[in-house]
Amino acid sequence: MSDTGGSSAEDGGEGSESGPTDGDVLETDGEGAFDPIEVFPETGEPDLRPGADDCYKCSTCDTNCPVAAVDEEFPGPKFQGPEQWRLKRREDHDIDPSITKCSNCMRCDHACPTGVPLSQQHNTARAEYVAQQVSRFSREYWRNRLLANYGTMARLGSRVPRLTNAVMGLSATKWLNERVLGITSEREFPEFATETFREWWADRGGARVSSEEKRIAYFHGDYANYNTPEVGKALVRVFESFGYEVAVPDQRCSGTPMFANGMLEDARRAATFNVEAFRELVEDGYDVVCSCTSCSFALRQEYLELFDLKGVETVATNTYDAVEYLRIYEDLEGALAEASGDDGQPAAFAYHTPCHARNQGLDGQTVELGDAVDGLEVHDVGDSCSGISGTYGWKRERYETSMTIGAEMFEHIERADADTGLTECPTCAMQMEHGTGYEVRHTLEVLADVLLEQ
Amino acid sequence: MAIEDDVLVIGGGLAGMTAALTAAERASRVRLLSYKQSTLCHASGLIDVLGYAPDRSGPLVDPFDAIPDLPQGHPYERVGTDAIREALHFFDAVVGDAYRGAHTDRNALVPTGDGTVKPTARYPASTAAGLASRPRATLLVGFETLPDFDAPLAAAHLRETGVPFETRGVTLQFPGIQRADATLTRYAHLLERDEPVDAGAGAAPARTVLAEAVRPHLEGVSRVGFPPILGDEHHAVVRRDLEERLGVAVFEVPSGPPSLPGIRLERLLFDALEELSVRVTTGVPVVDYEASADGGRIEHVLVDRNGQRVPYRADSYVLATGGLVGTGIDSSRERVSEPIFDCNVAHPTDRYDWFEDDAFGDHPFARFGVTVDRELRPLAADGEPEFANLRAAGAVLGGYDYAAEKSGSGVSLATGYVAGTHAAAEVRG
Amino acid sequence: MARDTEVLVLGGGSTGCGVARDLARRGLEVTLLERGNLTHGTTGRMHGLLHSGARYAISDQASARECIEENRVLREIAGHCVEETGGLFVKRPEDSADYFEEKLRGCRDCGIPARVRSGREAREIEPFLAPDIDRALEVPDAAIDPFRLCVANARDAEAHGARIETHAEVVDVLREGDDVHGVEVRHESGPGKRVHRRSGSTETITAEYVVNATGAWAGQLAGMADLEVAVRPSKGAMTITNVRQVDTVINRCRPKGDADIVVPHETTAILGTTDVEVDDPDDYPEERWEVDLLIDRLAELLPILREARTIRSFWGVRPLYEPPGRGTEDPTDITREFFLLDHRERDGVTGMASIVGGKVTTYRAMAETVADHVCAELGVRASCSTADEPLPGSEELEAAMDDFGLRSPIARRSRQRLGSRTRDVLETDEPNPVLCDCEGVTRAEVRDAIAQSGTDLNAVRIRTRASMGNCQGGFCCHAIANELHPAHDEPVVRAALDELLKERWRGERHALWGDQLSQAMLNYALHATTLNRDRDPARTGESIDYGAFDRGQTGDGAGAFVGEKTTDGGDR
Repeated sequence: MSDTGGSSAEDGGEGSESGPTDGDVLETDGEGAFDPIEVFPETGEPDLRPGADDCYKCSTCDTNCPVAAVDEEFPGPKFQGPEQWRLKRREDHDIDPSITKCSNCMRCDHACPTGVPLSQQHNTARAEYVAQQVSRFSREYWRNRLLANYGTMARLGSRVPRLTNAVMGLSATKWLNERVLGITSEREFPEFATETFREWWADRGGARVSSEEKRIAYFHGDYANYNTPEVGKALVRVFESFGYEVAVPDQRCSGTPMFANGMLEDARRAATFNVEAFRELVEDGYDVVCSCTSCSFALRQEYLELFDLKGVETVATNTYDAVEYLRIYEDLEGALAEASGDDGQPAAFAYHTPCHARNQGLDGQTVELGDAVDGLEVHDVGDSCSGISGTYGWKRERYETSMTIGAEMFEHIERADADTGLTECPTCAMQMEHGTGYEVRHTLEVLADVLLEQ
Repeated sequence: MAIEDDVLVIGGGLAGMTAALTAAERASRVRLLSYKQSTLCHASGLIDVLGYAPDRSGPLVDPFDAIPDLPQGHPYERVGTDAIREALHFFDAVVGDAYRGAHTDRNALVPTGDGTVKPTARYPASTAAGLASRPRATLLVGFETLPDFDAPLAAAHLRETGVPFETRGVTLQFPGIQRADATLTRYAHLLERDEPVDAGAGAAPARTVLAEAVRPHLEGVSRVGFPPILGDEHHAVVRRDLEERLGVAVFEVPSGPPSLPGIRLERLLFDALEELSVRVTTGVPVVDYEASADGGRIEHVLVDRNGQRVPYRADSYVLATGGLVGTGIDSSRERVSEPIFDCNVAHPTDRYDWFEDDAFGDHPFARFGVTVDRELRPLAADGEPEFANLRAAGAVLGGYDYAAEKSGSGVSLATGYVAGTHAAAEVRG
Repeated sequence: MARDTEVLVLGGGSTGCGVARDLARRGLEVTLLERGNLTHGTTGRMHGLLHSGARYAISDQASARECIEENRVLREIAGHCVEETGGLFVKRPEDSADYFEEKLRGCRDCGIPARVRSGREAREIEPFLAPDIDRALEVPDAAIDPFRLCVANARDAEAHGARIETHAEVVDVLREGDDVHGVEVRHESGPGKRVHRRSGSTETITAEYVVNATGAWAGQLAGMADLEVAVRPSKGAMTITNVRQVDTVINRCRPKGDADIVVPHETTAILGTTDVEVDDPDDYPEERWEVDLLIDRLAELLPILREARTIRSFWGVRPLYEPPGRGTEDPTDITREFFLLDHRERDGVTGMASIVGGKVTTYRAMAETVADHVCAELGVRASCSTADEPLPGSEELEAAMDDFGLRSPIARRSRQRLGSRTRDVLETDEPNPVLCDCEGVTRAEVRDAIAQSGTDLNAVRIRTRASMGNCQGGFCCHAIANELHPAHDEPVVRAALDELLKERWRGERHALWGDQLSQAMLNYALHATTLNRDRDPARTGESIDYGAFDRGQTGDGAGAFVGEKTTDGGDR
């Protein structure tokens, strides 16, 4: 873990005092040396105070925060963002503990009319809070670390998927999780697939289409790999049907759950690996596509905001959501219109836009595609937040909040004229299933059904 | 390939949504692009048409008496009185029961959170019972943890304005709120869900507890005003429930930002957009455009998606990006500009001529915006339209001071309506 | 003849308040008169630098030595007013290397601790420094809050029996023959705490001795006693950024010039300054070129300033004085020393002295000199204690102070402002919401300030910083004013609010482009559109025919309610 707290002794709060008391004259010359715009040197955190320049105090962020509406202990994104940063002096590191109540849904980012870097401020504050104020020996720390590093758990679990699924489903396991780890026993652990996406990919011999011009590198993330390989398979088949060569490089978790838990060093390691892996492919003419909107958001925005990595910008500007990609570079609506209209079963879905999709301008796309297909109805259930926000809703102390936030979405789903759910985010899907009992599918799966029927 | 539509509206505020709705009734594919949440969430939710004449006389009883005298270049002068009326009818039809005031041309006087009164043409149903031009003895209720609204002081201020009714105020503890920094949405949510709260002797539903706290103060009054926190999506239910419990009319006193009535209006209009199958894309900004070879038409605009510039093409475009607040108008120490198309924005060269020394003076900056012809096409410095297929609506327009005139929503409706109509007419078969 | 008070101190700036405190602590009976708020003159309009003395280490070594000495004293006695930021004198490639060396030697000569830093080291201290800054001198400059300092002096004086009158303008100095024996004062709203709309009064106050501590106004004041004091007021512009780009005082290391300092001040940074002689300290132009110069010139040191949001600019007038006969042309060359003009010795007029020149850093030493003089004149034997006794709020802070239910940054900022008074002010059983979000000021702190200063919200502002953040009061002024009710009635509250809004606008006008212009428009929209404050009938005095307006329809307001009663005979 980070040692960011440790370096403060030499030049921390004492810095300004060592000047006056120490009359020594030190002649040094650092001319020509490269200086990164460093930051608060004690913690290695960026100085985000100038981000407060964009804030007009309009509180739009606060009114869009799903947590603040249900939990008065959370003072809202404005306070935890521009206000807290503006009140900071160099030596101030006391982050208000309410930062841990932020679910990292990023609706504030999406709402802010003037571009305050709210989520960057929240991510950074949360990391600072975890680094400085959370004991490494606390249960919360280890529980959060475990949740944040879901991929590691999944890697182990999916080696013996049936056994793991059975064990995780046991009431004794749930009891232990709740009591020992503080993971809610209300939720069913997602089942591990008996064959991971990567195993499938290797088995089929990798790409079946090769192309010099049309190449994508697939960032599947942990969830599509271990839990819902059918989403990954759908992506591969759809893209191959449009003539794309698909690459599936080695990769780690996008880092989203790590940001959300303030485990910035874990996230940095994952990001470094991923950027390195995908940068080379981008330089070879591949575009990066994701099937999970939180993954694409991490690669496109959070990496850029939080890590100064070689090639991070190259990867960010060449990363897309899978469906978005086809809409931009292919006549997807035309293809759908052509493929549909025959004897396919009429299908209706209640569609929820994940918050992180909204932040990428993807909110309307699934509904618009639905319009193009005869016999397919996609009902938008509105702009409510599912409330689970990745690992947030798994924490015992957050479960209630998570379900209270989700209540509005559950109602809207139930009101919609459909009995299957649809969304691009795996944890939103978990919450939709949990709150309504509906089966929930991924947009890519539905596209594959329509396009690849023949 | 570009994302294709018939009409593309840039900006998701009142003007943009009105333009999109109007166009959608006349063209098949209309898209609304809205980068961030619009300034509607700052607004009180009232639909002001014209409260004061440009010479600041008023309050005007009937805005339509003064509109014909507005100076040339004023957005109302550009679109004409008939269009304003049509736009209001259109609005009334879209919002239905949620708004009142359509029965007359006359303005209503609404009490504000400050205890002043202001003229407006349409008001949310939640405000209707509270009109200051409706003589009823009034109790205002504020809460200790909501320092923006001091009910006893607002009541005293109302008395100073000479309202024709008795009024007083009381400050209470809001049931179920312990922290002094809970967001407004927390209050609204508590009431909307009628969550159980501590009522001294055990838990009881929030609305019941609130009504019990208010009841002892009701003597002699026939209506009670609260800050605008009485529920969110189901605010009508919350209000009706309180009315039944209290036996008097209940209303909200407009304030903001943030403003739940503004957000409710936004939701109403978004629902209408969905109804008319307007495609809505949010979260990504229009950053540039490509013009035809002769520069006379916009071929497509470019939307920034995390660093990639994706073309969006349409036959005609509506610019409804807002004014200085909505960032549709930008400024630096040197100049004032319209950032997407760089449309001409007339302004004095010296920035010390942009303002008056009096805080509520006749500020030139309040009138910054694009100049348009009668079809609402932005005009270049030479007086010719910037582009044949671009129209502008709402606060991005110059030539009027909506804050002084109390004309913001009316101008957005009227110009959004006219811009949407022309934009749809432009669509190539 | 019995006098009303022993000593009259005229002027409620740092010097006047310092003199009042010093004399009161020595047991003298003191009355202080200030025509506006405390700090209303020059003290409230400075850049907040607590000099290390390095600035004067070449040109004016006497001042430099005095600065470092007082700098050390104030860190001890005014801990809650001082932020120990440290300072850097930074050198750009084109700045003289010889001057840099000379500055270093000067600091050593004057006993100012100074250490040379490389450009790289300087950027490690302040990351936003320009990449071509090649050297820097690190010195113990600090930031001081002149408002808090002044108020703390006045409070301590009061605690020792002094009478402090603000909004009390001296309209005449009473002189009989060659003796000054008092003043005539006009109270804006009667003696005591100021209350808006309360009618004014005049009062004659006689005294054994009168101290003219009116700074740039000393000439005008002395004129009332037919004495001549040739102050040479010089204006300086300062621009405030919205956030702190630096946590260290940044000075440019070159001989002299405008726009060479950035001082971190509370949540902001203050860019300074210009130096232009003016005729009238109450009437001089505040000009665009000054603001532009500050930003453009200082961006050479801190490039981020070029695009940084500024929230306002303000101007102060230096009370420069030079003894007759020197005839310095350029105001930047006039000495920053202070002078005690004993009118008995100088003009043969007894009972009065004027104190001119000087700077906030040395205010206490100036006050001590004046107090010594007054004691000598009055034959009082008492020694000065102001260098050792902490100011109210600066006493030993409790080691572990709780948060009083506040979010940690709010509690932290409150503690920084209130010092050892924190518990007294913040401990409350009532809900204590934040009234000013930008600066994190709670209701309890505002109420404490109101208790000190009546309905004067600008006095509340300088005590708390409420309304001094990025919205410049747009979102909080009314919430602050609300706290005056119900102790004061609505018209008084409104007058107090309008005055605060006016004062906020006065400075914000100078920052109207980019973000701050948008903020100003949003504020205007809130105040005018939503609240109709600009056309408020209570303010305009217009009488409205309420009956002519739309009165709604039967059943309006959701319709389900019953029992709506009319109070005036029903619909007409």
